[in-house]
Amino acid sequence: MVDPIYALSIFSALLIILLVLFFPEKGIITRWKKIKSQTGRVLIEDALKHLYDCEFKNLDCSLNSLTGNLTLKADQTASVISNLESMGLVTSTGNKISLTSEGRSYAIRVVRIHRLWERYLADNTSVSETEWHAIAEEREHETTDEDANRLAARLGNPLVDPHGDPIPNADGVILAKQGITLNNLEEGKYARIIHIEDEPKEVYAQLTAQGLYPGMQIYVLQSSKEKIRFEADGEECVLAPVLASNLTVLPFTEKESVQESFENLSSLETDEAATIIGISNAMRGQQRRRMLDFGIVPGTVVHTRLRSLKGDPAAYEVRGALIALRKNQSDLIHIKKIKEN
Amino acid sequence: MNDVEEIIQKANKYRWEIGENLHDAILESIYTDAARIADKTVTRQGGKQKFDWDRWIDKLVTGRWTGFPIMFLLLVIVFWLTISGANVPSAMIASLLVDTIHPLLKDGANFLHFPWWLSGVLIDGAYLALAWVISVMLPPMAIFFPLFTLLEDFGYLPRVAFNMDNLYRRVGAHGKQALTMSMGFGCNAAGVIAARIIDSPRERIIAIITNNFSLCNGRWPTQILIATIFIGGAVPSFLAGVTSAAAVMIVAVLGVLFSLIVSWALSRSVLKGEASAFSLELPPYRPPRFLQTLYTSLIDRTIMVLWRAVVFAAPAGVAIWLVANVTINNVSIAEYFINWTDPYAMILGLNGVIILAYIIAIPANEIVIPTVLMLTVLTTKATGLGAGAGVMFEMESVNDTAALLHAGGWSVLTGINLMLFSLLHNPCSTTIYTIYKETKSMKWTLISTFLPIVMGIVLCFFVAQFWQLFA
Amino acid sequence: MVTPDSNCFNCPAHNSANLVKLGIDMSNFDYVVALAGNPNTGKSTVFNALTGLKQHTGNWPGKTVGRAEGAFQFGDKRYKIVDLPGTYSLLSTSTDEEIARDFILFGQPDVTIIVVDASRLERNLNLALQVLEITDRAVLCLNLIDEAKRHHIQVDDRLLSKNLGIPVIPTAARQNVGIQDLLKNIHAVATGEYICKPYRMRSEIKNVSHAVEDLNKELEAKFPNLANTRWIALRLLEGDQRVIDAVRSGEIGNLTPVETENS
Repeated sequence: MVDPIYALSIFSALLIILLVLFFPEKGIITRWKKIKSQTGRVLIEDALKHLYDCEFKNLDCSLNSLTGNLTLKADQTASVISNLESMGLVTSTGNKISLTSEGRSYAIRVVRIHRLWERYLADNTSVSETEWHAIAEEREHETTDEDANRLAARLGNPLVDPHGDPIPNADGVILAKQGITLNNLEEGKYARIIHIEDEPKEVYAQLTAQGLYPGMQIYVLQSSKEKIRFEADGEECVLAPVLASNLTVLPFTEKESVQESFENLSSLETDEAATIIGISNAMRGQQRRRMLDFGIVPGTVVHTRLRSLKGDPAAYEVRGALIALRKNQSDLIHIKKIKEN
Repeated sequence: MNDVEEIIQKANKYRWEIGENLHDAILESIYTDAARIADKTVTRQGGKQKFDWDRWIDKLVTGRWTGFPIMFLLLVIVFWLTISGANVPSAMIASLLVDTIHPLLKDGANFLHFPWWLSGVLIDGAYLALAWVISVMLPPMAIFFPLFTLLEDFGYLPRVAFNMDNLYRRVGAHGKQALTMSMGFGCNAAGVIAARIIDSPRERIIAIITNNFSLCNGRWPTQILIATIFIGGAVPSFLAGVTSAAAVMIVAVLGVLFSLIVSWALSRSVLKGEASAFSLELPPYRPPRFLQTLYTSLIDRTIMVLWRAVVFAAPAGVAIWLVANVTINNVSIAEYFINWTDPYAMILGLNGVIILAYIIAIPANEIVIPTVLMLTVLTTKATGLGAGAGVMFEMESVNDTAALLHAGGWSVLTGINLMLFSLLHNPCSTTIYTIYKETKSMKWTLISTFLPIVMGIVLCFFVAQFWQLFA
Repeated sequence: MVTPDSNCFNCPAHNSANLVKLGIDMSNFDYVVALAGNPNTGKSTVFNALTGLKQHTGNWPGKTVGRAEGAFQFGDKRYKIVDLPGTYSLLSTSTDEEIARDFILFGQPDVTIIVVDASRLERNLNLALQVLEITDRAVLCLNLIDEAKRHHIQVDDRLLSKNLGIPVIPTAARQNVGIQDLLKNIHAVATGEYICKPYRMRSEIKNVSHAVEDLNKELEAKFPNLANTRWIALRLLEGDQRVIDAVRSGEIGNLTPVETENS
């Protein structure tokens, strides 16, 4: 008979080794893969993307900014650049590096794939929004053009990514930038969020933690150098101007109607009635389409009929059918209660 | 075709102007039309004065104080009807197929001068496995599933999903998994098929992979027998019945716990990237049609069990007979294997017989115990028991079975670990095949197959080592 | 194989070439019938009632996975019937909805039976109206009429038929009520005795009427045979790749409706 002390210690040792090797994200295998993936193609594509980003934002790009972005040593970056130059993708004059037209279309291709993946993750998976960017960052280097087109087709050829950035089409045509940043919006103005910058990651996490999403309607209460106070979907938010500059908004035009005030379906008590006003843009993809298929469209009358033990899920009568929704779904459906006499 | 390209380009340009809310607008417009047409053509008589039965039943079966007791009561009734109703027909089928027809077939084979190995492979191997699966599986299946179908036809089951969703949402699954899990208590393959009712891909795969943690019909008898012998036998006799019943329940509940834990882990790891969209419609109640449901459900299940017996169990019977009868230097392959694996199996608190039985009886859990008994007789060289090498059998009395197993070197630990291993091991081959057919994915099939067996080995290992450490 | 210029009155309208591509062999059949409907409307029960199959059908959304096929005979004609997956819509992107949509649009079945739950007509009309956008030959099976009665709901089937422009048959498939009538009407539509004038969406869609009209005009000019260019225009505006490809390859123009053959 094997001594149980030995058996247990051998097993524990084995377990520790396996964990060290395979632990998600921090395990040796994943790290090793990541290092191995920092090969030519990835570096080239990341460099092009950075240069394209600078161009898009009208900034000059230097060896320094590139070195910082790629987390490389200066001499390594230099070799990447000379590589790119020999491929005819960039030209450098003095300290300034700029894209050639081939380089630009290559960069746009990578941007397209990146944004398609983000859209896919947002619409079709339960990956949390703070992880979209990082996963897309990996997949953009492994996706061929045909795969990208197939992905686009499957998603119904989407126009924008979940942050509101336009997705270039297969021919590399991309929409020009619109809107202003939130810190430039005047007090007492209505606007709609059209873009939330997803880098740096910490800032993005902070913004999404406030429940902000593209398509949200906001109203500026106070705008000063210290803070910006605004109402977003009826709730008050406060941001420092530095953070607010990561939000791009489109002020309302005259003819666009400002959405009336609303409540959420989750707040409708049993046997109360309400009219649907709309579905929040934070409900995306398949989930949103299913709601629409159920007849949850503006103007539909709903009644809350049943609540389960903890109130989640609850069942609603919609166009003659009884449909159960979870609270995280009914929170995103906007209603106006009908007062019954 | 240039003008076609122009049309498409034009459409693309318009898309940028219109934005992405077109789908919403289209559905809104369709529903406007639908409402207009429905308003014109549908009339409701009586209106609100009439007592609404549907609403009343809904309040009752999802109510705070009534919902869970009703659910529990119905589950108990279904199980009770299944167990008490299946005993008699099971015994009848067994006595017919095993005690009557089997000897007749043997006589027939002798009369036709079959070589001993041919009648062994065909009659002791294939036929007996087939007979076993039918007698154990058919009666409970033919009672359990029609009962479920009646509840399903009535419209009650979606309400169970509604009640249970809160729990399943927390582990990243769908409330309907409560139903597929319950069906798994009857048959895992049927539970896997039932996962079709979950239309969100991620939640459906979770339900499929975790279904094996429901103790199926083929495993209940093993649990009950081993618990009676080893758990019941270890306590004073007046407590034996209660204790062994409790032990079986603990194993079943452990299975439910594992299914929740594994659901949670899967939804946060390998399945994170799968599509997920919750929806649950609660259809109106409809009076079930008893006779038709019973009839169709009975036919469906009978066909399924027979198909499984022929396709999966019969070949397993052949394999079982062969390993016990093919000999090298007068020692059967089975004995070689058992002697070789015994020391390793001991580390897991099991023994070589159990390991071999689980390997060759993959196709059907219900032939594990007969195989175990046959192999034990083979290795202990007990005389006067069973019907010869390779012939599966069961014993009339639990005491005799206990005596044989004790003679085979089994301890309480072996009993406990066999119960755990019976809960946590790979699904039977019918279920594996069904998982592949339903998911069309090698990856999920392999995960469903190997995840439980790895868990089983690890758990048995820990129990065995700590047992030895403290006992 | 039906060519666009074949001028016969009651010859089959289905697209054999596309049906073969979709995996349907029509060699022993005169007509092909598709069965569409929301989950939980008793669609499979209707399927069984028509084909005489005794398969168990449950009160479950999404029970039919993929496609089931069956056959029946009416008069001297042999019908193949294809049970499409139960869906709430044909416009979303799930696999089931794609299967159902592609079958009706490209397979051009001779008749599409739309099974609806009479007690929840409004909700079910969503799918029915979508089906009518892509086919000219359909029969509405107003199922579970007994359940509707129990809930004191009455549906005026004649008025509904007039509104939708297709035959509307009240049935209670579980009791075999109305099935003969349904068969008769399937036959009438398949043979061309009954010419459908399907309802097409009227309510204006917010902000897009200009774009739709413009594309509509161009599509009409390019594909004069196409029955519902407005719908195709909407699909293009939604970025539906399957339809874009069909427009690009000209496949969409080869789908010929019955009416144009007769008029």
